Amino acid sequence: MPVPQLMSSTVTINEVQSFSYGEEFSLLDSMEEHQIPVTYNCRGGYCGLCKVKLTSGKVNWVQDSLVTLEAGEILVCCCVPDGSISLAT
Amino acid sequence: MAYSTFNKVKNDPLKEPMFFGQNVNVARYDQQRHAIFEKLIEKQLSFFWRPEEVDLSTDRKDFMAMAEHERHIFLSNLKYQTLLDSVQGRSPNIAFLPVVSLPELETWLETWSFSETVHSRSYTHIIRNVVDDPSIVFDDIVDNPEIVKRAETVTRYYDLFIEMCSQYSLLGVGTHQINGEEVIVSLSALKRQLYLTIASVNVLEAVRFYVSFACSFAFAERAIMEGNAKVIKLIARDEALHLAGTQHMLNLMANGHDDPEMVAIAESCKDEVIEIFREAAEQEREWAKYLFKDGSMIGLNAEILSDYVDYITNVRLRGLGFEEIFKIRSNPLPWMNAWLVSDNVQVAPQEAEISSYLVGAIDSNMEDADFDDFDL
Repeated sequence: MPVPQLMSSTVTINEVQSFSYGEEFSLLDSMEEHQIPVTYNCRGGYCGLCKVKLTSGKVNWVQDSLVTLEAGEILVCCCVPDGSISLAT
Repeated sequence: MAYSTFNKVKNDPLKEPMFFGQNVNVARYDQQRHAIFEKLIEKQLSFFWRPEEVDLSTDRKDFMAMAEHERHIFLSNLKYQTLLDSVQGRSPNIAFLPVVSLPELETWLETWSFSETVHSRSYTHIIRNVVDDPSIVFDDIVDNPEIVKRAETVTRYYDLFIEMCSQYSLLGVGTHQINGEEVIVSLSALKRQLYLTIASVNVLEAVRFYVSFACSFAFAERAIMEGNAKVIKLIARDEALHLAGTQHMLNLMANGHDDPEMVAIAESCKDEVIEIFREAAEQEREWAKYLFKDGSMIGLNAEILSDYVDYITNVRLRGLGFEEIFKIRSNPLPWMNAWLVSDNVQVAPQEAEISSYLVGAIDSNMEDADFDDFDL
């Protein structure tokens, strides 16, 4: 019987850095886990400081954003990857 | 257009603009034109706190032990914060409620203003604790020329907007004679003043407040006035939400997602809004000089605080989709971030880095004789 493989999501940042998302609560937590510098304040989706551009792939929102976002912008404190993604900071 | 507390004309609030449509009648929240305001209300309610929850007992001792110039910094900063929240505790209600047209926005304005009154009450809590006669501090807010100067600039846009709205409410659109002077009341002038007023409120909460927070947290970085910093941390959490609110209003207007007429008005106000930010930054730098006129404190001086003014002004301008106006790119006060983290997670006091909680738990006065009973 084939053993089901867990799909791992690779997160690429500015085309130079990448890491594997490991089921952390949010992308922000995952970035911190991998010691990737990221600006943030509230972790609650309302200060807007962790805003980045999602250049490819899809994300799922785990909490609501309360700031204005343009098309393609996400808050890393509010999202988790759905498959592999690329971000531009 | 006269204000009605319950507009009897049946209307569809999903088709109304945020402001200057029909007055709100039924306060219903099952449907929203701009759901973001409902989310802000829910978040703000989840943040509810009372100043009395914060223990300030060690702050008084810290205050007594401070050098005179540090007391000047601490009290002046507190006076400024008291002034800003005195304004914010009433002005969003008085200025914007008479012209709001969406139930969710109306309730957000009230929720927002209410939370500012909690802030005002917390300053009384702090001031009562550190000085014997709170009147000395409160009275100076209207006597001290440096503070009065600030009051004039933070209220200018509000006051003019309220005056214009009163004329609109009483006399309606048109040319009128008021006290022997000809006054033209026009909806486009009102909308322009509305946009500028909301921008100036954004500056008040997103720039001016943050400069004052830096001073409050700088004391706590040295492990003094930690109770005060704990209160300010709660205030900062609320303010982050409020500034998101004004950013949304401005962005919705400018992006054409609300009143179509506001797009051109927002565009025509662009230079003036940037000027409001620039003027506020200039005043905050002047204020920094006044704060530190008799001496700096460890970790903060007029120069670093001025750099922070420039940095935070840039951040806020970006939030509104404007270009940065100052050179600075990195945060000159990186330790501020630790104080501005306002996660929903309730941290138990014994886990938080508030050393006042630990005072008394550890006896740090040890002498060699204390080890006499120890055997290895």
